[in-house]
Amino acid sequence: MAPRLSFAVIEQCALPANPITAILVALLLSVLFALSGCIRESDITLEQRAHQLAGELMCPICDGQTIDGSNAQIAIDMRLKVRDLLDEGSTNAEVKDYFVLRYGQDILAAPERSGFSLLAWIVPVFIVLGGVVIALLSIKSMRRSGLEAQSAGGTSTVVKQKQNDLSDYLAHVDRDLSVGSAIKSDESNKSGDAPSSEKAKS
Amino acid sequence: MADLGVMALLLGLALSAYSAIGVVIGEKIGMAALVVSARRALYMTTVTAIVASGALINAFVQNDFSIAYVADHSNTLMDRAFVWVAFYAGNEGSLLYILLALSVISAISVWFAPKRLARSMPWTIAILAIIQLFYFGVLTFFASPFELLDTVPLDGRGINPLLTHPGMFSHPPLLMGGLISITIPFAFVSGALIAGNYGDDWVDVARVSAIIGWGVLGTGMLLGAWWAYTILGWGGYWAWDPIENVALMPWLVMTAFLHSIMVQKRRGMFRLWNVALLNIAFVLAQLGMFINRGGPVVSVHSFAASTLGAIFLSFMLASLVFAFALFLWRMPQLKSDRAMESFVSREASFLINNFLFLAVMVVTLWGVLFPLFSDLARDVSVSVSAPYFDRVNGPVLLGIVVMMGIGPLLPWRKASARSMKQWFVWPTVVGMIAIGVLIALGVERPVAIFAFGVVAFVATAIGEEWWRGTVGRHRSGDNWALAWWRLVNGNRPRHGGYIVHISILMLALGIIGTNFYQQRTDGALALGESLVIDNYRIEYVDAHDSSRPDRIAQWAEMTIYRIDPDDYKQEISFAKAKGSSGFTLKDSRIRPNDEVIDTIEPWHGFYIDFNMASVRSGISSTVVEDLYVIPRDFLADGRVSLAVSINPLAWWLWASGPFFILGTMVALWPQAAVERRPARKRLIGESEGEI
Repeated sequence: MAPRLSFAVIEQCALPANPITAILVALLLSVLFALSGCIRESDITLEQRAHQLAGELMCPICDGQTIDGSNAQIAIDMRLKVRDLLDEGSTNAEVKDYFVLRYGQDILAAPERSGFSLLAWIVPVFIVLGGVVIALLSIKSMRRSGLEAQSAGGTSTVVKQKQNDLSDYLAHVDRDLSVGSAIKSDESNKSGDAPSSEKAKS
Repeated sequence: MADLGVMALLLGLALSAYSAIGVVIGEKIGMAALVVSARRALYMTTVTAIVASGALINAFVQNDFSIAYVADHSNTLMDRAFVWVAFYAGNEGSLLYILLALSVISAISVWFAPKRLARSMPWTIAILAIIQLFYFGVLTFFASPFELLDTVPLDGRGINPLLTHPGMFSHPPLLMGGLISITIPFAFVSGALIAGNYGDDWVDVARVSAIIGWGVLGTGMLLGAWWAYTILGWGGYWAWDPIENVALMPWLVMTAFLHSIMVQKRRGMFRLWNVALLNIAFVLAQLGMFINRGGPVVSVHSFAASTLGAIFLSFMLASLVFAFALFLWRMPQLKSDRAMESFVSREASFLINNFLFLAVMVVTLWGVLFPLFSDLARDVSVSVSAPYFDRVNGPVLLGIVVMMGIGPLLPWRKASARSMKQWFVWPTVVGMIAIGVLIALGVERPVAIFAFGVVAFVATAIGEEWWRGTVGRHRSGDNWALAWWRLVNGNRPRHGGYIVHISILMLALGIIGTNFYQQRTDGALALGESLVIDNYRIEYVDAHDSSRPDRIAQWAEMTIYRIDPDDYKQEISFAKAKGSSGFTLKDSRIRPNDEVIDTIEPWHGFYIDFNMASVRSGISSTVVEDLYVIPRDFLADGRVSLAVSINPLAWWLWASGPFFILGTMVALWPQAAVERRPARKRLIGESEGEI
């Protein structure tokens, strides 16, 4: 389904292959690619790293706060411990492991990306992709059912009639509001062109 | 006072029950008088809710500590202005407040309901009365704010110290009011569906009531963020806490609804979908109430004492079943008038925007519920907090911002290649230039740079449309300001929406800045010492005491200097070697380029009865960045321990608020001139809206 769908998107899209759009997209992608290579975590001071880590560890006695945000004594002690571990040269992962060993999994503010907890991270990806796919599929089916209804007659001819009645008004409005020649084509497309293209299709 | 309150609640209970039953029977047996009487009973429940709230507020004013709720949430030392805050500071009082808000907005919306909905109004009234009945019942039987104490204490416990902040006068009432107000559009639409009123008669009233609730809820959340930023002393403003999430989720769904309802209004499409969105938003609001009242997840905000979890869970499940049973029953009648014409059209982009909003909502719900799920499935507790939500929701939220630039530029129905090129060239070019400039300036963090580029893209898209529209009107004789105003006035829903979009862009700037570029350092200062971070020097000048019998409190007077790092070369390199972002200066000697820019007064108090600390951060704010000083503690040796951060672009978070409210109001303002026109002309008026 997926390859057919993406093909459908391209095919039914009103855009013809447009060199400028293609160039812009290519540029954007290359900039993104170039950017992805230049993260400089090493520049961050140990203190910044300690703060980041503190934001990823929960305070064991407070409700839903990280040690970074809490003023409880245990949070203060844990922050000092994080800094000590970093001063000794521990990596971020080692610091987290240190606390997980002592307090259990729920000391981490975000679940681990392994084992059962991996679910927490994977499900959102499916939710988002699923949402977009459903949206595209429903647009597609709304188009198809509309076209079928049109060729079969049915209610949409009435609608089309209504639109044709309206088109005089719309043309009038277009004239009233035509704000420079720049968007004229856009507007004529909105009012005049679309019904005719509808007819062409049916 | 307590008796009056109890009696008012009992009367309200009886009246709302009568209203719900009476209106249904009256409608069924066709007895118009009974329907009218039931409608009036609904107005009277508002009176009883006002009387009950008045009784409680009066008890606070009179320091009537014989009432447990008053003794628990105020004392004689409390500033009288905070009576209003104390009213909803606890579980019972906040429920009474919610009932008050619900009954007032119910009465107003029933009173002003449009005539053409007359056939479905009885059902709308029945739904409103049943929901009020639920709250009257809870307040009478399970959580009475008028419970009396056996022995009357001399003084109360006092108000929760975290609540003594100006933001608290408006944040909780707006948030609770916003959540409960989703009931109104839900009641109108459900009423119409039950009555078999399938047309678009309910569209306007649902849209207007939804915008009001949505605007109120959004403002409430923003004020809450501001409150957290200035008083909670954790240096942030949004923690993805479960309670914040359950307010955000219905807001997201309502945002989706406000977009797709425009498609129904203009094109007669998406009927089914709009009903579904309202149902989801309403059920999520009930979920919020449930999690707030002793739900199963850990949060900083929840009312710890509440044992109402089971009751609110049942009510949420009941509303879920009701909403979707009704939906499935009436589904066949809710067809669209028109078909989708193209993937590249405003309808299509609104649908994609809707699914992105829903995706953020579902992902957030998944995050909120995952700890429960993990507990049940394998008996291991995990925490799901800010780092998780930032990571999973960040990209989708950015995607929504991208859609915010694309969607409005697409025409209804179908976009042509030419119009696409004309509209999208400038936003794309400006977005790319913004990215290029940031890279050239040596700004780090690619994700943030890309996000800034997106903000520039969207801002240009809005600017472009305003520019073209204004130029056109300017040519026909108006001056620039008038031309712009006429443009906005010509289609308020659309241009009000743009103003809200601008506020969202400002919010995005603040979120990107504070999330990606925050710098932090900790330190402890004795009098006369200074803390240096980046190009700021914070000097501890003086200490003051502001203790009271119920608290130990101090505040520090600090001077902020802007410094030239060259003056501090030695110290900076030493601090770097130690891995610190900042350092402490022992001497108070002023270096040549130090320049005083501000003074701050960070405040720290410890409330004995509550065993709780409360702080006021010292904030020196500019458009570029906030210097943010949290007094963690005043130590016994006279030093003050500080957590200092530089929060880039934080100012924009709060500056977005007025624009959000303004845009909401513009979108909401009735198009009176259009509606008064005769029918023939109205067609023009409406299609004018499409431009």
